[in-house]
Amino acid sequence: MRTLIKAFLTACIVSFFFTVTANAADTVKINDLINKMTYYNGRLVTVEGEAVGETLERGEYAWVNINDGSNAIGIWLTSGDAERISYFGDYKHIGDTVRITGVFSENCSEHGGDVDIHCDRMDIVCKGYVKNEVIPRTKIIAALILFGSASTVTVVYFTHRRFQSKLDARNYISK
Amino acid sequence: MKSLRPHYLSVSIISYNMGFVVLGAALLMIIPLATSLALHEWNPVLDFTLSLSVTSIIGIILIVFGRQARLKKLRAEWKHGFVVASLSWIVLMLLCSIPYVLSGNAKSILDGCFDVMSGFTTTGLVMTQDLDHLATGLNMWRHLLTFVGGQGIVVLALSFLMKNTGGAYKMYVGEAKDIGLVPSVRGTARIIWKISLIYLAVGTAALWICGMYIGLSPLPAFFHGLFMFESAWSTGGFAPYTQNIMYYHSFAYEILTIIFFVIGSLNFGLHYAVWQRKKKEMIKNIEVQSFFITSFLACAFAVYRLSQLGIYRDAVSSFRRVVYNIISAHTTTGLGSVYARQFAIEWGGFGILILIVAMLIGGSACSTAGGFKGLRVGIVFKGIIAEIKRILNPERSVRVSKFHHIKEYVLDDSIVKSSALIIICYMFLFAVCTALGVYYGYPFADSAFEAASVTGNVGLSIGVTSISMPSLMKVQYILTMYLGRLEFISVFALLGYIVEGVKKLCAHLSKRS
Repeated sequence: MRTLIKAFLTACIVSFFFTVTANAADTVKINDLINKMTYYNGRLVTVEGEAVGETLERGEYAWVNINDGSNAIGIWLTSGDAERISYFGDYKHIGDTVRITGVFSENCSEHGGDVDIHCDRMDIVCKGYVKNEVIPRTKIIAALILFGSASTVTVVYFTHRRFQSKLDARNYISK
Repeated sequence: MKSLRPHYLSVSIISYNMGFVVLGAALLMIIPLATSLALHEWNPVLDFTLSLSVTSIIGIILIVFGRQARLKKLRAEWKHGFVVASLSWIVLMLLCSIPYVLSGNAKSILDGCFDVMSGFTTTGLVMTQDLDHLATGLNMWRHLLTFVGGQGIVVLALSFLMKNTGGAYKMYVGEAKDIGLVPSVRGTARIIWKISLIYLAVGTAALWICGMYIGLSPLPAFFHGLFMFESAWSTGGFAPYTQNIMYYHSFAYEILTIIFFVIGSLNFGLHYAVWQRKKKEMIKNIEVQSFFITSFLACAFAVYRLSQLGIYRDAVSSFRRVVYNIISAHTTTGLGSVYARQFAIEWGGFGILILIVAMLIGGSACSTAGGFKGLRVGIVFKGIIAEIKRILNPERSVRVSKFHHIKEYVLDDSIVKSSALIIICYMFLFAVCTALGVYYGYPFADSAFEAASVTGNVGLSIGVTSISMPSLMKVQYILTMYLGRLEFISVFALLGYIVEGVKKLCAHLSKRS
């Protein structure tokens, strides 16, 4: 009996997790929001994407731009929520992946006609990190060889040219 | 070999001058290289080292190949000037795309070339991928290209790198900058660069301060300020992030950029006149009059129509989303405060039509702007008025029409004809570009919008320009940007020169055989 109860509980827990995963499918791609903006206007939507750039603080609130690979959009959220984001995507970083639930506006009256989402809830789905910049050895060797060649060619040409100009000037005076 | 001798000397002149232009581009690469070095972006450091090395070697080879031009002190003729200007742009497009391709942000050489041509011609259409993770060094390169392209790379290289600028005026005209502020080309080029650099300092400082005020950290705020100024002043349209100007969510930032791109779209001659305290020029100049009349009409119609459609109801959103985009289109800047697809979805046929007309008209001649220019529109319009007056007045009365552009000009038939001819060329190019888009299955309005953007070197997109568009369309857009920027004549001269060369070679070979 105990085994049966354990199995039942396990099944419940597993099904709960599956339910949560199913909710993630409700996220809308940013490009879909833009393509069907009249439909989504004023509705509660969920988007998921990488925080990019940096937080643009505006008093108690802030702007955070997120990119989900299809497009990017501005999220209007509290400064407290913005501070929870540890990494923003740029050349050296992969930003935190955040899930935003909020009201979508195709022409936000509060923000001069901006297309934005006013955040109600923010979850950090995946923490960002510092990118490890891999530098190929062949690139280093090629750069060194070419730079050496270019420097030599330039120096030789301009030295020769200066020498020739001096020679021409001397010949002109002697004439 | 005798018959080929003069042709060989012409090639020497072209090669020698082009060598210096290429060397100029190599020197420019030091700026993004230093930026990457300072910010410890090691891959871009290597990319720019490789690109700089290849470019300088090719530059020196071209100079050595054309050394006869220096030794025999040969002066460039008009055809040489046009060929140097037009050919340099093609060679530079290939060389300047190396950092894009090496970075991996351009998925092919064609995409890299597209972005470089878009930068040089101050168009601003983007083919570079993953902008939000782009190295600052590469961003510096993109915006530098657009800044230099706006003032004229050939003029820059020839005026600052060469001691003997004999014949440089022909190359200067070849790059569609045919204004003489002072008697010498070097002097004129230096004035153009002086004006641009003073604005660069002031504009970057203003955007830097504004950037920090809207929440950017000091160092990124500086780079954003520099990039956005370069983009606005050159009427380019590039921006460091995917969202373009929408990244900043700031009215103040939009106001500053609108000021800079309007100033940037004005004729350098006008800037110089104002600097010399000839302020009346601002009111009397035919280009300024033409620009303000057409901008006002375009903005008024668009604001009225979009408010009627119920899209932008309040004044602030109308200004930020409608006026901003119309002025951006008219000055051929291409900074966009709405998403590309919003034009198609929200603006409707009439809104798109207004944008197309504004994009095709463009800014001022001899400025950083594209399009067929307000000067030509003004001249043709005045020409039509003069013609109507001539018909209505008695045959004996002789009326002389004039227009003011830095100084008074008599409006004769040849001026009207040449202006109309260039407008016809632009319209033909626009029609071809639209037709190709329609052929590949894009809706007519979308194809026409994108074609106007490419022809006028604007950079606003309705969503046609993307990495997945057919390669032939990419090639055609590159050619259109190039033709639109150089205003046809130089490119026609290059084609004529190639045909002439081939003919001579064929004749020579047939004689020998």
